[in-house]
Amino acid sequence: MITLCSSRFRPGLALVTTLALSLLLFTSTAYAASDGKKIFKTNCASCHFLDDKMSTGPGLAGISGRRPDKQWLFDWVKDNETFAKKNPDAMSLKNKYPGSMNVFAGVLSDEDIKAVVDYIYSEPGPEKKVTDGGGTTTQTGPVVEEKGINPVYLLLTIAAILLILINVLKSVKKNLQNARNRELGLPALPEYTFRQWCSHNKRTVAVVLIFFFAWGSKAAWDGMWDLGVYTGYKPDQPIKFSHKIHAGDNKIACEYCHSGVLKSKVAGVPSVNVCMNCHKGIESGPTTGTEEIAKIYEAAGFDASTKTYSKTPKPLVWNKVHVLPDFVFFSHQQHVVVGKQECVTCHGDLTKMDVAQQTVPLTMGWCVECHHKTEVPGLATDQKTGTAVNAYYEELHKNLKLKYRGKADSLLTVERMGGLECGKCHY
Amino acid sequence: MGNKTKYWKSLGELKDNPEILQTKENEFAEQLPSDIFTNDGVNEASTSRRDFLKFVGFSMGAAALASCEAPVTKTIPYLMKPEEVTPGVANWYASTFDDGHDYCPVLVKTREGRPIKIEGNNLSKITWGGTSARVQGSVLSLYDKARYAGAVIKGAAKSWEDVDRELGTALNGAIASGKSVRVLSSTVMSPSMRSAISEFCRKTGAKHIQYDAVSQYAIRKAHWHTHDKAILPAYQFGNASVIVSFGADFLANWISPVEYAKQYSKNRKVSRENKTMSKHVQFESILSLTGSNADTRVPVKPSDLGANVVALYNELSGQSLPVSGKVNKDAIAKTAGWLRNNKGKSLVVCGVNDVAVQIVVNEINKWLGSYGTTIDADNASNYRQGNDEEFAGLVKDMNEGKVGALIMYRSNPVYTAASMKFADALKKVDVKVSLSTSPDETSALCDFVCPDHHYLESWSDSNPRSGHYSLGQPAIAPLFKTRSAMESFLRWSGNNQDAHTYITNYWMAHVFPMQGKYMKFSEFWNHSLHDGVAEVGTAPVVTEKKEETKKEVKPEEKKEETAPVMTDKWDVAAAAGKIAEVKGGAMELIIYEKTGIGSGNHSNNPWLVEFPDPISKVTWDHYITMNPADMQGKYDTLERQDMIGDIATITVNGVTSTLPVFPQPGQATGTIGIAVGYGRMGIGKVAEIAGGDNAYKYVQMSNTGTMQYFAGTVTISDKTGESFHFACTQQHHTMMGRKMVNETSIGEYINGNPEHWNHKEYLTVFNTEGGHEKVPVTTQNLWDNFDRPGHRWGLAIDLNSCIGCGACVIGCQAENNTATVGKSQIRNVRDMYWLRIDRYYSSPMTEEVAKQEGVGKVDMYLEMEKPHTENPRVVFQPVMCQHCNHAPCETVCPVVATTHGNDGLNQMTYNRCIGTRYCANNCPYKVRRFNWYNLNANYRFEHINPAHESDLLGRMVLNPDVVVRSRGVMEKCSMCIQRIQAGKLKAKLEERKLADGDVQTACAQACPTNAIIFGDLSDKNSMIAKHFADERSYFLLEDVGTLPNVAYLTKVRNVDESEMPKEEHKNKEDKKEEKKEHA
Repeated sequence: MITLCSSRFRPGLALVTTLALSLLLFTSTAYAASDGKKIFKTNCASCHFLDDKMSTGPGLAGISGRRPDKQWLFDWVKDNETFAKKNPDAMSLKNKYPGSMNVFAGVLSDEDIKAVVDYIYSEPGPEKKVTDGGGTTTQTGPVVEEKGINPVYLLLTIAAILLILINVLKSVKKNLQNARNRELGLPALPEYTFRQWCSHNKRTVAVVLIFFFAWGSKAAWDGMWDLGVYTGYKPDQPIKFSHKIHAGDNKIACEYCHSGVLKSKVAGVPSVNVCMNCHKGIESGPTTGTEEIAKIYEAAGFDASTKTYSKTPKPLVWNKVHVLPDFVFFSHQQHVVVGKQECVTCHGDLTKMDVAQQTVPLTMGWCVECHHKTEVPGLATDQKTGTAVNAYYEELHKNLKLKYRGKADSLLTVERMGGLECGKCHY
Repeated sequence: MGNKTKYWKSLGELKDNPEILQTKENEFAEQLPSDIFTNDGVNEASTSRRDFLKFVGFSMGAAALASCEAPVTKTIPYLMKPEEVTPGVANWYASTFDDGHDYCPVLVKTREGRPIKIEGNNLSKITWGGTSARVQGSVLSLYDKARYAGAVIKGAAKSWEDVDRELGTALNGAIASGKSVRVLSSTVMSPSMRSAISEFCRKTGAKHIQYDAVSQYAIRKAHWHTHDKAILPAYQFGNASVIVSFGADFLANWISPVEYAKQYSKNRKVSRENKTMSKHVQFESILSLTGSNADTRVPVKPSDLGANVVALYNELSGQSLPVSGKVNKDAIAKTAGWLRNNKGKSLVVCGVNDVAVQIVVNEINKWLGSYGTTIDADNASNYRQGNDEEFAGLVKDMNEGKVGALIMYRSNPVYTAASMKFADALKKVDVKVSLSTSPDETSALCDFVCPDHHYLESWSDSNPRSGHYSLGQPAIAPLFKTRSAMESFLRWSGNNQDAHTYITNYWMAHVFPMQGKYMKFSEFWNHSLHDGVAEVGTAPVVTEKKEETKKEVKPEEKKEETAPVMTDKWDVAAAAGKIAEVKGGAMELIIYEKTGIGSGNHSNNPWLVEFPDPISKVTWDHYITMNPADMQGKYDTLERQDMIGDIATITVNGVTSTLPVFPQPGQATGTIGIAVGYGRMGIGKVAEIAGGDNAYKYVQMSNTGTMQYFAGTVTISDKTGESFHFACTQQHHTMMGRKMVNETSIGEYINGNPEHWNHKEYLTVFNTEGGHEKVPVTTQNLWDNFDRPGHRWGLAIDLNSCIGCGACVIGCQAENNTATVGKSQIRNVRDMYWLRIDRYYSSPMTEEVAKQEGVGKVDMYLEMEKPHTENPRVVFQPVMCQHCNHAPCETVCPVVATTHGNDGLNQMTYNRCIGTRYCANNCPYKVRRFNWYNLNANYRFEHINPAHESDLLGRMVLNPDVVVRSRGVMEKCSMCIQRIQAGKLKAKLEERKLADGDVQTACAQACPTNAIIFGDLSDKNSMIAKHFADERSYFLLEDVGTLPNVAYLTKVRNVDESEMPKEEHKNKEDKKEEKKEHA
């Protein structure tokens, strides 16, 4: 079992401290003694709902009726193993459910447990999901905003209309003149073709052509820079999975599902069994109801009515959003664990996205820019002393500091460590 | 030393063939067809100017359009992710490679559940982490698309239930008809497998017969004569100061080459602290890998090897047994002298599968006191248990119709016993069963094919030597509907256990009690499985005790029961008498194994088939080797660049083969060599492309009842008139005839001035006082020095330890996804190896010597050719990218695709490369390889390159951490940058300094002799820094000023100075200066 201290990665998630892979196991951090709700959300909510639905553990609605004695629940939460040995009632409860509950003694203080028990007994009911005022699920966050009419196009349209008008008026004028000439017996006005006009106005034609050529070249050049750049790419997915609901509203840490990020070069798309950790109990979502979650069950071969994996599983085929070419070697572990980068830097704020979207260009220039300016402090993870240095960097930093001493820009950036060399990413 | 010594790769180069001289200068063998761009050609060119413009316009438009639409990339996560698998992270499993011919404990690297690389297991006390080319290549055979997909009865696919039922009926029928049932296998070193087979034998009354394709039965039988025990002793080359080998190619093929190479190299390494090394004398017929490493090598015709052994015995013991045959008296006397001076510290081994010869060898070893020091007869080896006489008896029984059912496991007698007409005998057997994993000549003739798992898919164990056990575990779920052979035998004997349970139970009952380290079996089992190996009392005394208590299970005890059937024992005189009976002829034939494909087990493995033979450097082809002196005037001696030779037919007792003739300097005159493993039928496309003929059909029964791998009388026809284009890398990437290898004699190394034998290049420059000054060439520099704030990676290659076996070549290929290119591309000098091993021949005769002695030009060349084509000295030199600090390739790349890292690496960026090939033209080491085709998609390589897109199975072997290169880009050794990066990341995560040895390149890790050392030169205490500082170290083409990060360590030969090439190390200025100094 691997426990991950998320506080080293994202101060914003200081409360979501420790995650376990097989179960949501939350451990150690001090809480404000009174905040039962917070403690519940971080430690209990992954297995227990506040309504009467079954998740990994039973739902907690009506607990005060079932267990009038708060002390009973306190003992149970504190150490259900020991408690069950003494209390036959607890033993029967333990035997009723297949999974075993974590022992929280040592993880939570007595005050914390008291607070959380108080919170549960206050029977808050299921938490209302955050929805927009209108009730419709509009997209929020940095999704492409509605565009007004571009004034340039407006001007161009007006100009075109005017040109047409001028042309029409001219032709009317010419027809009138011809009609009059016919009456007077004069010859008709000579045809004055566009070609003739061009040959009479060579300078204007040249200027216009040059203008259009320059404008076209510029447009082509700019367009080519965007070839293969898919900023804003937002493919449909087989399941309408919403990062906003999971990572935003419910504050599930990114590393819980994308666990590879701490152990491997790839963050990984979570396997279906990770979804089932929670969705074994959560059958209905706030926006799509049971429809989308049923697709997980289908993939997992899970029969929701009998709560058994009795059907044939079927793999899910997702569309990759952030795609790097095969000839680029990128390690999440290097950037997140060693480099202590936030997910948001490269992936945008997914807590606000219903549909995952590529928000950065992911071009080499974009990588290089960051490597060019980011400092490598080379600090150890254990920051008790504040200045502890990762022993790997000790020698390197010493040498580089010597080299850049006294220079105006003496920041030890990734570039100066050799992080802009081709071979660091291409091999 | 000797920068005037002539080192040459081929006869053409030796004779300064103008064509070859020309190609030496060129990086690319062919010129571009540039004439179509010149004025004359343009009118005839098929592409007109207008067409050209159309193509340009179209391709620009197409490129722009193609990139407009975003490609959708799909990703499919696991449904239930196995706990131990993390995508992107490799898992390692300890296992054992044992195919009945080679044995090696290994570690298997798997990525996302696919085995992709084999490494040696450092915990093994047999191989100590060494590997060979075959072991490295064995992972690819897992993904052989020719493998059986499931059980087959008479050509029709059947379920295993059907097979068990129908075979049961058939076996009962065979037994009922009064005929016998036989199990035929190659050596089974697995104690559990033996137990399973004996269960089957008990059930059916069958008899188990072992038979090796390349047999060493004579050693076991000779030990029965001399030691009363039919054993194959454990050889300890590491304890020997003098090693004498008669035809035993123990570094590449003989019995357990990885083990012996490891031991051998221990005493061949020299350093400032220990300047002694063993003396190695080799008597042999062909130029083998072992012979080419010998200090003294004596070419002997195959029929004369026995006579030389007897002569050595006479010389040592003072007896005068009869000797008939040509004996090199001088060499024997010298060898006897060395042996006599090193009694108890010497070892004589012999590869001749003849009981009489082996008896005399045993007597020599007894006389020398080798038993107990360099030969361990108490803890015998279990390799090569094949019994030639029993096998001959089986064929006789089959022909007489006495055999009702024959089950063949890891044995392909239709191919390997072609000389005994096994296919005809097999027709007389009612029930024919093959357990072969992939189709072979035998399984094609069998009614029942019950394919075994590949070794990476199955549970196995092995007991290579008393007290040494190893385990094999599956690293991947079976790819096909195959079944472990052990389970097959168990099913057929009514036992429903699976292989895992059976092996566990066997270990619990038999292996666990032999050790005293662990109290609980589960603990012992888990540790053994984790380590892959288990040593259960290696001390002789302990083992003997155990042997007494465990008598019924010791394999060698069983061996004794089935061993020789004769009653009278031969003494040395009787043996000498038998040897004297052996008759030779004017031309003799010797059959040998190739370092790559071995006995034929790897004939369909593209890596190993294309692997250039260490000596001849021929890749795919099968050929006859002859000494150039024998070929003179009869056949083309391949002195031209095009390597087009003649074809001839050899005839032995009416059996013929028609093969091309290849000149092999160093081969005994009057000897023809042919390798086994070719001419395979119906085993797959690669073997079909390799072609050739089956050399096993020349194996004969000797007068001592053993398989004899030579024939005394051979006739060879004149050239047939047809010619043959060899796919040979011999001339490829030749480095302009400059000084490449440096060697010296042990005497000079110990007593001489390093400046003499490791001559450094000097440059005369103006000094500040206006005078001249000589400075080391490395101090002169046109360029600014690079910054080295952190690591500086380097490789050191000890030419003294390098035996040229090529494990590194295949290791590199597996690690770096280098493509196999096939015959035609090799002929075009377009091989893709990032690491090549240059093999140089040398001899004392040089142009300077000729001038001094007034030898005429014609005579000089004749003289030059004569002695050394007869017996040239051989040097192996692995060459990869030298990662120059001032790399010539970097300065010429127009798109900066090859750049320099601050850690000393010369980096190659494929996606940036536009294929101008300027870099390759400017590389003095010729280590850059160009992708002339899209080797992974072009139809030409469909059956050749395992990574071809049409081969979904073969592609699974690719290393996902290394890019598969496309057409039009240059590639080269990256010093395994993916491993460096992974090692650095691990250190960063663990917040520690990178320790010496944390990162290993694929070549360094594969090397069985630790000849390649990798490390960080910035770490002054590292192994690599010590190697660079060694007095033996030098750089390739030092005077060019490239300042490589790869150093070579001078080869030291344990020979007298008189045997070394003449010294010409000083130029005239040097001499003058010395005189001045004296004055």
